[in-house]
Amino acid sequence: MKGLIKKDLLMIKGNLKYALLFLVVFIIISLEDVSIIYYIPTFISMMIFITTFSYDEYNLWDAYAISMPVSRKDIVKSKYIASIILIFIAVIFTIIISLIIGLIYDNINFQEIIANVLICAASIIILEAIMFPLIYKFGVEKGRITIFVGTFGIALLIGFLLKNFNVDANNFIVFFDKYYYLIIPITLIIVLVISYLISKKIYLKKEF
Amino acid sequence: MNKAIEIKDLVKNYPESFTLGEINLNISSGEIIGLIGENGAGKTTLIKSILGILLKNKGEIKIFNKNLDKNEVLIKEDIGVVLDNSFFPEILCPKDLDKIMKSIYQNWDSLLYFKYLNEFNLPCNTMIKKLSKGMKKKLEIAAALAHHPKLLILDEPTSGLDPVVRSEVLEIFLKFIADEEHTILFSTHITSDLEHIADEIIFINKGKVILNKNRDELLDNYGILKCDIDKFSSIDKNDYITYKKNKYDYEMLVSDKAKIKKKYKDMIVDNITLEDLMVLIIKGDKNEGIN
Repeated sequence: MKGLIKKDLLMIKGNLKYALLFLVVFIIISLEDVSIIYYIPTFISMMIFITTFSYDEYNLWDAYAISMPVSRKDIVKSKYIASIILIFIAVIFTIIISLIIGLIYDNINFQEIIANVLICAASIIILEAIMFPLIYKFGVEKGRITIFVGTFGIALLIGFLLKNFNVDANNFIVFFDKYYYLIIPITLIIVLVISYLISKKIYLKKEF
Repeated sequence: MNKAIEIKDLVKNYPESFTLGEINLNISSGEIIGLIGENGAGKTTLIKSILGILLKNKGEIKIFNKNLDKNEVLIKEDIGVVLDNSFFPEILCPKDLDKIMKSIYQNWDSLLYFKYLNEFNLPCNTMIKKLSKGMKKKLEIAAALAHHPKLLILDEPTSGLDPVVRSEVLEIFLKFIADEEHTILFSTHITSDLEHIADEIIFINKGKVILNKNRDELLDNYGILKCDIDKFSSIDKNDYITYKKNKYDYEMLVSDKAKIKKKYKDMIVDNITLEDLMVLIIKGDKNEGIN
């Protein structure tokens, strides 16, 4: 499985120059509005990671992977691990950049930086957790469309619920603020495990 | 002799389009097995079913005397593959493959891998997508050999290669097979490759194995009986397997050249090539009852 993770990370290395280009552009933008920097590296890491699926699909890699001494289960698992490693790298990177920008503006609030970065990373991980099973089921192109439709749908649904059922969002926000260091990891673990189990089930029945 | 691959009642079914099987095959180790058949006959389906890339509907596959479903990862340590169209993502370079494979195969031999790259004149740091078709094939072959496999399963390994490289590659396969424990299962359109190196020929047509014979036996015993159009009716129908009508004569596939030569002294009996055999079986009439 280590080899499969290496393969995804080496592929990303091959695409790194585009990622860096993106990043430079966004850092320039974020000099105007610092808060944007929290989202960008993790978001880019997701976009780049999705391209590994595209290349896998284009070069029919999975057939070759299955013929190697790795189980189908490990092929799926390695995707999750590689993507999380990448997000982790993006998080570290974001923290460093945020500190540098903070230094420039002589305004460092370390706690705020960490909280923001973690929430951004968590939302990207959840997004990926929704996306991966869809990609395994429908392929990268359709999977990508499904995710946009899906996210929009969920946003609409939440808006609808809040408006019609008189839910007090403020209570929730206060609660979340107090316990986010617990809520985030627990949610992430649950979401990732469910996502992995669904992806695995799809992949075990897939033919290439 | 040890068995490398045993296939029992293998069936792979595509609803409404194509069924492979039932396939029963025993492949001894130490041999080169050539898999021939026209496009869509089921060669790739068979290979992919053996490797678990396609999920079989029925049947049992044993490799190195072990059940494949139960020992998949262990068995695949000793298999090297070249698949048609499927390989590493093209943005990786040959050097990356070494780093990856090192963590995948326990027996990965970096020295041997780079030796092959060198022998094949393959660059280490060029992306796969920038390699020519022939270079890509050679890279796939190098990757298939570099973990010291016992069994090579190759789907069209020589397609896209020029004659010089093809003979180089065949030479490598012959070197590989010199070890008695080694086995090669090799599918190809280029039947002349198999005439040089295969020990056994397996002929697949419409998803079924219609011929499974020793190459020498096949080429020594099978032949083509040729006769003028007006003499065709005088030939005993039991003496030939299939026939093909040409503009001026008939060609008949016969399975016992020597006997036919004696019986029809005034007619020509030619030696057969695998290509003739394929064409006569697929295009010829009355192609039932081949043993």
